[in-house]
Amino acid sequence: MALRSLPALVAGVLAFGLMAGTALADQTRIGVVVKIGGIPWFNAMEAGIKEQGAALGVDAFMIGPTSADPALQVRAVEDLIAQGVDVIGVVPNDAEVLEPVLERARAQGIKVITHESPNQRNVDWNFELASVEGFGDAYGKLMADLMGGTGKYAVFVGSLTVPLHNAWADAAIAYLKANNPEMELVGERYGVAENVDDSRRTALDLMRAHPDLKGFLAFGSQGPIGAARAVEERRKAGEVVVLGPFSPGQGQKLIHDGVLSGGFMWNPKEAGKVFVTLGDMLVKGEEIKAGTEVPGLGTINPEAGSKNIIVDQLVELNKDTIDGLAEMGL
Amino acid sequence: MPDTTPAAGPRFALPRLGSTERALAVVIALLCLFLALTTDTFFTLVNLLDLLNISAVNVIFAVGLLVVLIAGGIDISFAVAASVVQYLTALALQQIGGGGWISGVLIAGGIGFLLGAFNAALIYHFRIISIVVTIATFNLFFGALMFFTQGVSIYNLPSWWTSRVVLFEMETASGWAELTLPVVVMLAVVFATWLLIRRLTIGRQLYAMGDNPEGARRVGINIGAMHYLAFGWLGITAGIAGLMQAHYAQEVVPNALYGRELDVLAAVVLGGARLGGGRGTILGAILGVALVTITQNGLNLLGVSPYAFKMIVGAVILIAITLSNSGVGDLVTAMKNSARRGAARKADSGVSR
Repeated sequence: MALRSLPALVAGVLAFGLMAGTALADQTRIGVVVKIGGIPWFNAMEAGIKEQGAALGVDAFMIGPTSADPALQVRAVEDLIAQGVDVIGVVPNDAEVLEPVLERARAQGIKVITHESPNQRNVDWNFELASVEGFGDAYGKLMADLMGGTGKYAVFVGSLTVPLHNAWADAAIAYLKANNPEMELVGERYGVAENVDDSRRTALDLMRAHPDLKGFLAFGSQGPIGAARAVEERRKAGEVVVLGPFSPGQGQKLIHDGVLSGGFMWNPKEAGKVFVTLGDMLVKGEEIKAGTEVPGLGTINPEAGSKNIIVDQLVELNKDTIDGLAEMGL
Repeated sequence: MPDTTPAAGPRFALPRLGSTERALAVVIALLCLFLALTTDTFFTLVNLLDLLNISAVNVIFAVGLLVVLIAGGIDISFAVAASVVQYLTALALQQIGGGGWISGVLIAGGIGFLLGAFNAALIYHFRIISIVVTIATFNLFFGALMFFTQGVSIYNLPSWWTSRVVLFEMETASGWAELTLPVVVMLAVVFATWLLIRRLTIGRQLYAMGDNPEGARRVGINIGAMHYLAFGWLGITAGIAGLMQAHYAQEVVPNALYGRELDVLAAVVLGGARLGGGRGTILGAILGVALVTITQNGLNLLGVSPYAFKMIVGAVILIAITLSNSGVGDLVTAMKNSARRGAARKADSGVSR
């Protein structure tokens, strides 16, 4: 039964798809495939996509696979090609797995934009809202400001093998070495920042081993939270600076209690808007080159021959911004 | 062979230290001595109380797991089960409008028991070996947790749950020394587990079943009930450990305890519990947790490069296991015995002369 009715069903769906396709043919269609659906980060991105789509009068929508599986992303991109969209945006789970299907999309004249995937092949553009140096420098600078340019600090990363965290840590440490030689790093770096318990334990130990420790810089989602809990327990709020990127909803209370000093992140909602803005510009045939002003990115400066647009549009996490970001569910 | 069967020895005498416990105690004592000499922060009240505060949750897990190991089973799922308990407890407390410590412990322990009983039911009624069942339930529990929560954490827990309870505090030269609630809960769980496996007949039956299931069945021990007891007990302790972890972390994060099962399992086995069942002591489990915690603490205090941490922790575990197997503990006893025998012989010869 089910099998016999399948062809009819497929035909129906196809007919519907074609009808829908022709009905909307005059409007630019932008589909963005993200890593996974239903999590706050990409919910915020979806809000940005919808908002900018409405503002520019284009049909922009997001597709969130049920799990962070590269194969599901490939299938989602194939679906978008079949639908005949004008622009495909992707936040890749796996850059290489997507290469062939993105090539196919471009062969059909579809513009392809990626995010958080530097040097992605078969794209028109990839954009980043934070550069490794920019992100590390911003943390180094804020750390120096809050510590008064002197004193001991420790660095946590998610794990000693997470490339991005370690690259950020390298940049921040290099910045502090160059600009604030009075500041002293204790104990290289600790790979505990993906676990709130390990971060707390290590922070407690380090504050004891170095009673004059004045700061923690933690790259990894749980690191700033764990270190802040330790500072709270040691009753050193205000004496020890804790910085790092964290989920605003999670750190909201700690920020207001003054045990978590702050940090930077980039706003996924802005990234969603940029997908639509860039896509619209590409479809309209506007030239994108060094010096072009793109709303949401600022004046861009891609290297010659490179398809990476890297800017530093960082959002500071502090007492003033945290409530707004937390409200977005981030 | 070291004599660690609990039935041996006079019933109300202090339990004799097994060779594993002795070896561990020797290693820990040496480690502490070394750290006390090389750092000026290890042997402070603040640090010692911190070690207690930090290891409380792991010890609660460890004594629960010990009961299952003694009964001849193994459980991989208890840490993620504790995460499930955290979530369900948070939801249940929301339903009843806040609750308090008593309702919290009852709910967490109750849900934990049910999850443990689920493992027991699969193992006993379907006769599947425990490692297979609990690897499956590990994935089931964690997968269901991620599916239903979509990875979303809970930050707004009832305030009684997250406000810190300090039972003893003292300002010292090196900062505030505190003893917090998890330590007291740990002591209570350890005491209850000690009562169960050392003082109650059903506890003795657990050892018997772990040692020789067929023999235990023939002497009339209810094997099914023993399964529910062992896995249910681990479930309860895991639930309470989850409650405590959320208490000090002040939030419920779905993957916060993921991976903890192997740390705890390693510590308990290090403490002399046999993976085949029938052997294991509470003291050993506690010493196993202590060794790992003290090593990590010492590495931070010494300022050793974090890149070397895993290597050193692994080496310390290997040394401790090698020592307990080669019978350093026995060696000490043997030396004492031979000294005693020597003295006795001398006395004998004195008399005969």
